[in-house]
Amino acid sequence: MASAAATLSPQVMKEARRRERRAAWAQTRVAWLFIAPAVIMVTVFLLLPVVFNVVLSFTKWQKFTGLDQFAGFGNYERLFRLPYFTEALSNTAIWVVGAIVFPLVVGLGLALLLRNIPFQETFKSLFFLPRVLAPTAVGAIWYYVYAPRGVLNSVVSGATGTSFDFGWLYSPGTVTGSVIVTFVWQTVGITMVLLLLGLAAIPKDPIEAARVDGASSGQIFRHIIWPLLLPTVLVVTILNVAAGFTTFDLLWVMAGDYPGKRTLSLAVYMYYESFSNGAWAYGSAIAVVLGAMVIAVSAVLAVVQSRVSRNIR
Amino acid sequence: MAVDITDRQFIARLIEKEKAASRVGGRWLVVPIAVLALAYLTPLYYLFVTVFKTSQEYARKGVLELPDSLAPFIDNVVQAWNIAQLGQAATNSFSYALIGAALAVAIAAAAAYGMTRLNLLGANGWFMLIFTGTLFPFQMYLVPLLFGYQRVGLINTWGGMLLVYVALCIPFPLLVLRNSFSAITKEVDEAARIEGASEWRVFTSMIVPNAMGPMIALFLLQFTFIWNDLLFSSILANGIEVRSVMVALQSLQGTYSTLGPNVVITATLISSIPTVLLFIVLRKYFMAGLQLGTK
Repeated sequence: MASAAATLSPQVMKEARRRERRAAWAQTRVAWLFIAPAVIMVTVFLLLPVVFNVVLSFTKWQKFTGLDQFAGFGNYERLFRLPYFTEALSNTAIWVVGAIVFPLVVGLGLALLLRNIPFQETFKSLFFLPRVLAPTAVGAIWYYVYAPRGVLNSVVSGATGTSFDFGWLYSPGTVTGSVIVTFVWQTVGITMVLLLLGLAAIPKDPIEAARVDGASSGQIFRHIIWPLLLPTVLVVTILNVAAGFTTFDLLWVMAGDYPGKRTLSLAVYMYYESFSNGAWAYGSAIAVVLGAMVIAVSAVLAVVQSRVSRNIR
Repeated sequence: MAVDITDRQFIARLIEKEKAASRVGGRWLVVPIAVLALAYLTPLYYLFVTVFKTSQEYARKGVLELPDSLAPFIDNVVQAWNIAQLGQAATNSFSYALIGAALAVAIAAAAAYGMTRLNLLGANGWFMLIFTGTLFPFQMYLVPLLFGYQRVGLINTWGGMLLVYVALCIPFPLLVLRNSFSAITKEVDEAARIEGASEWRVFTSMIVPNAMGPMIALFLLQFTFIWNDLLFSSILANGIEVRSVMVALQSLQGTYSTLGPNVVITATLISSIPTVLLFIVLRKYFMAGLQLGTK
């Protein structure tokens, strides 16, 4: 080796290194061609709009005015001054909590029930089916479920024997809860399927051992199943949090007649101000606040997730 | 007590006993679960009885009562089809979903190939750039896209709508395919390259066939996303000739609509057929696609 290197003049070595570098560059250039379409599409249609959205939120731009006046933090001041924003924010908080808790509780219950029964695949598909339907379609169906002469009232009337014609989607006290129920109805299938996968991955031995030692089912769940299921629970939570923040179709379709619909959530408020009122700059400011919250919460959850998966290992 | 574990009969009896024990608990549970499933599917039962009713029948009867005959279904379909111009809208959505999802998965696959199989400088940086596209809520894209589309004349065009869908459907498949491609052994393409195959050739005939499963699953997920979209199409393409099936469906519904629920619900059924059919036929890939989303 040493003698071979000694016989190579610095000239030859340099030439070889240059050739190597040229080959690496040639491959990088081919690689650019492969990634170019993706990079261009994502940059032009997704990333630049996000940057532009932030810029827009500092202007006074409206549907029929030019884009020339800067407003500083005017839009954001207006956000916090008007009661609409606070109301939309608190409804969004209800949505986020609801979208985390209910699919998890119901999905876990279903997953535990379905674990060892005959026809498991059939039941799984049945509970999963609504997830395949479009939120717009689901919203249209449930609009009539909640209608004064709809399915829910007719079932309640039948059960109580008195006629019932409550407008679930027209009353401020029930509209958010009603749409959340529909959301859970549609999405609990995916939560259940993911939890079933998580449950299937839990080893049987420690559970058997605990049972032999006289542990109750509740104890086994709390001390063995739940800790091992936690990574799956976190994945499900991350998926559902994002949905809780941004659900739009269901609300827009189901609560289209509700007078106070603009404050049903931040996503709805953003759409309403931007596209029903033409207040584009103001709508952009709402979108920025929503985006900041989604990213902050997702970041916290990602940190928690990496901690948990490290502890499991 | 000594147990002879080579005694096959004894082991078989043990297994049988254990199976029987787990079945006893299981069998009883089927009854409450079946009841629960029936209650759960009530809204879909409502859908199926409603599409067979006339408007008068709907007003007269209880909402969950069975229809008089199956005949009104045809009339409901014709009405929904004509008033919402569902034919045009479904054709639009089908072309957006089919072409958009296929293009997006192809573009994502090419990028994943460039990032995992080729000696790309700064591959991680490029990946992070595209991954950033999954972080923001859709609400942040809407106003700027509307503004840009109005400026360059893409608003209310088929091509403009398709471009947005393709871009939206690239980041997630890229994320998944980058992992699938990394799992394929490097020897496969090294050998092909020594034989003189071009990178394009290696990509299309060595790597893509090896990742067909995840690619089909990803295509299905993106197809369903585009078909189901209301948000983007309601803003960027709501003209009759280019609007999506969900925009058409939404136009039927609400207080201002004079249509009976039977017609609206029939339109709901029609607009759900493609994704439900795909789900039934390709359920295996759908479930695989879901698991992709969690890794």
